[in-house]
Amino acid sequence: MLACAVPHRSAQLFLLALASLPGLTLRALAAAMLVSSALPAAAETEHPVVVGVSWSHFQEERWKIDEASLVAALGVRGARYLSADAQSSAEKQLADLENLVTRGADVLVVVAHDPDALRPALASARAAGIPVVAYDRLIESPDVFYLSFDNRRVGQIQAEQILAVRPGGRFAFIKGSPQDPNTEFVYAGQLDVLRPAIDAGRVQVVGDQYVDGWLPEVAQRVTEQILTRNGGRVDAFVCSNDGMAGGVAAALASGGRSGVPVSGQDGDQAALNRIALGRQTVSVWKDSRALGRAAAEVSVALAGGVRPEQIAGAQTFTTPGGVRVPALLLEPVAITRENLDRVIEAGWASRGAVCRGVAAGPEAPPACRPKP
Amino acid sequence: MSGAVLELVGLTKRFGGVTAVDGVSLTVPAGEVVALVGHNGAGKTTLVELLSGALRRDAGEIRVNGDSVALRSPREAQQAGIATLHQHLALADNLDAVANVFLGHERCTRIGLLDEDAMEREVLELLARLSPGFGAVREPVSRLSGGQRQLVAIARALRLDAKVLLMDEPTAALGPGERGRVTELVRRLTGDGLAILLVSHDLESALALAQRVAVMRRGRLVATRTSENLDAAALAALVVGGTD
Amino acid sequence: MSPEALSASDATRARVSAPGARTGAMLIALGVLWLALDVATGGLFLSPRNLVNLAVQASAVGVMATGMVLVIVARQIDLSIGSVLGFTGMVIAGLQVEDGLPGGPLPWPIALCAGIALACAIGAWHGAWVAYARLPAFVATLAGLLVFRGAAWLVSDGRTLAPLDATYTRIGGGLHGTIGATATWWLAAAISAGIAASRLSGWRRAPSSGGLARIALPAASLFGTVIAIAAIANSVPAPDGSPAGLPLPVLVLGAVALAVHGLATRTRFGRHVFAIGGNPRAAELAGIDVRGVTLRAFTLLGALAGVAAVLTTARLGAGTNSMGTLAELAVIAAAVLGGTSLAGGAGSVGGALLGALWMQSLENGMVLLDVTSALRQVAIGLVLLIAVAADARWRGAAP
Repeated sequence: MLACAVPHRSAQLFLLALASLPGLTLRALAAAMLVSSALPAAAETEHPVVVGVSWSHFQEERWKIDEASLVAALGVRGARYLSADAQSSAEKQLADLENLVTRGADVLVVVAHDPDALRPALASARAAGIPVVAYDRLIESPDVFYLSFDNRRVGQIQAEQILAVRPGGRFAFIKGSPQDPNTEFVYAGQLDVLRPAIDAGRVQVVGDQYVDGWLPEVAQRVTEQILTRNGGRVDAFVCSNDGMAGGVAAALASGGRSGVPVSGQDGDQAALNRIALGRQTVSVWKDSRALGRAAAEVSVALAGGVRPEQIAGAQTFTTPGGVRVPALLLEPVAITRENLDRVIEAGWASRGAVCRGVAAGPEAPPACRPKP
Repeated sequence: MSGAVLELVGLTKRFGGVTAVDGVSLTVPAGEVVALVGHNGAGKTTLVELLSGALRRDAGEIRVNGDSVALRSPREAQQAGIATLHQHLALADNLDAVANVFLGHERCTRIGLLDEDAMEREVLELLARLSPGFGAVREPVSRLSGGQRQLVAIARALRLDAKVLLMDEPTAALGPGERGRVTELVRRLTGDGLAILLVSHDLESALALAQRVAVMRRGRLVATRTSENLDAAALAALVVGGTD
Repeated sequence: MSPEALSASDATRARVSAPGARTGAMLIALGVLWLALDVATGGLFLSPRNLVNLAVQASAVGVMATGMVLVIVARQIDLSIGSVLGFTGMVIAGLQVEDGLPGGPLPWPIALCAGIALACAIGAWHGAWVAYARLPAFVATLAGLLVFRGAAWLVSDGRTLAPLDATYTRIGGGLHGTIGATATWWLAAAISAGIAASRLSGWRRAPSSGGLARIALPAASLFGTVIAIAAIANSVPAPDGSPAGLPLPVLVLGAVALAVHGLATRTRFGRHVFAIGGNPRAAELAGIDVRGVTLRAFTLLGALAGVAAVLTTARLGAGTNSMGTLAELAVIAAAVLGGTSLAGGAGSVGGALLGALWMQSLENGMVLLDVTSALRQVAIGLVLLIAVAADARWRGAAP
């Protein structure tokens, strides 16, 4: 095998060309050869850890924030940052991962667009001894370190906050994209809290729809239809993210219905403003800066040979498929009109943006009242 | 009769290495029909395209009524007084006869909308002169017979107040009854003072319609004869091998 | 019968495949769908509120479908309009919100005009590539699809831009986005008068096609439709309890459809578009500026994408970078359903409008029936296939 020492550039290019041939095994083989050719070099000279991040997309605003914080934390540790944007395509993400490996990544951080479609790339990474961190979205493989907010907890918080203002009635679920594993986690968390109420008959489910691509416009139309089906009598919308919550809120507003609890997640500025204005009840805030920082920590540690179990705060997480994966789960925070100050003080959003259009007076949320 | 004349002086057109039209000089006086004959590939259609503005010439001159004209586009050719009846009629099949007759020269009302009434009236009038009983001016022309489509195309050409009429294979797609009609029509048009250049591979037709016949071979004009004492056989011989 | 007169069967076939007949078939198809959905939803589908919602939901796609008809008739296609909608929508929102685009915040009318002008320019950009650089429209507008979706994201780095001006969001319909009962009735009266006038003048032009009775029936059904629409719009209450009237997006849709229909059937430009679609060579030889007409068709569609962007952002009350994703497919489907042939030369603005309504009705009804999103996708795809196959068959029946 010419595997071990292939320092010559042209040979590497040849292997690169091989890697672009169809046939997964051939590609995996070529990738493995290239990677193993790079590793001995790494052992010989002290070079900075190279962290390759494969993003799924940047459609939601939070991902840019994740990226900024991850890059900053890597910079502090002297690690190098490589990235690729799969633009919501599983095929592209596969190519991106192979690409990151050939560019010399020592560890991969993956925001999986479609986790099941990534197996070939993960297999070749495993063969090459490159650790993989699943960022925010679960990849069901015992070798992959799962780093996320506790998404089930997100769903639980959403349901808890809605029950707090509306203990019972006719509820509708507006769920996210069916391809995204997080959708099911959030929904499971929502049901964890609502199941007893549903079984006891206090809560009646009058609508339940997935929304492809988490698209706000689709959420708006779906909400209109659910309202029509129920003669306008829906008491709460258990909505899984802020983008869609915007569509739900718009549909409610154009139907002239106010005071209907709506949940969300991500801490989008528009959502925070809606909370201040009373059009949304809660946004579950996952300080993605914390996640980005954690990703930097975990990935550099794994690249340096630290075992997953040894990472601070790590636990074993059992996936829906029954696979036990090493994981670090951060705790999400419920942001409601009472604690908007929290995101403002953390520098996540400005008071001006959050409180825009809020009428002054005793009705205003605490964060928007003038300070004594 | 006015002195409407079409003059070609040394007209040349090349496509890469091939000279499709090679220094052709020809005159078509008012009220006369000149037939242009020759094999496929002799350059007849290219010559018509040069005169109708669909192609630009490489050398030579074109004069209408003594004035040299540039003919850089079909519109310029129309403005110069040259109307063309193309071999495949250049009709828009999805439109009706009215739209086709006025294609590119639609009449509009004061507010800028199409003046359908005026156009329809004019078309009915035109077609009545050419062929009484033609009423189907509002059907898509794809539904009309070959002869009727021919009439629509002729009507369009005539509308343009042309001094010169180019007819490329006017009888090719027609049956015998309709051919007779075209012959009659051509006679009437020359009576009105039009100069007509008629391209045909049908030698009988050419002799019947034209006063003079010009023979093209391989881009060159090789012979010109009056049609009076010429018969088809002699003409065929010219097409194949004769030169002046 | 003289050889030149049409045979009776020819005349029948001509009548059957005329654009009017096609629109009639679409109306019947719409009626059948509506009835089926109404029965399946226990009377919910045909409730005034749902019908009003339906019309508003279909307005953005409907607006763009009218312009797409002209582009397809001219033997072209435009795949970029969903992305153009997203991009111009983001720009319009960005110019209105406080920490949006530099130069903002601007008063909403300026942001709106700037957005539509931008969309117009983008349409012209695509048109120039197609008409003058002779790029295949598929390629040029596919590039646009990618470019402008990326650009939509770049406007605010992915951030949702909100809130938008309260007056502006009225254009999107909703609570305060209707014109009120009085205005609705006046509008209905004006349109009815217009229909009566145009039918009468048409009848005077061709009196031989059957007596006054011949135009009375279609005219009466048109009146009936107009009155029904006005009545439905006025059955939905506004917040103060009075009848709401026609929602603004539906008004915009109607106005756009009427204008584009007039452009297509009554102006030189429209005539030239159809000529180019029927026989581009013939159009060229007739002296038509084919390139110029093509450019203008794309520019118009671009402008309409801008109008759709206004409707979408106003309705959402925000600018989100994913707006209009895959809208071009819905728009093309609506046009094709409505009788526009992808081969060019034949199309109907009214048909496209009905096509958009038809597709949105299917989606709207299925959510009412609680059908999951995956099944809805399958259903819409299958229905589109069947509808277009039926159309091909229908066209094939008449030569």
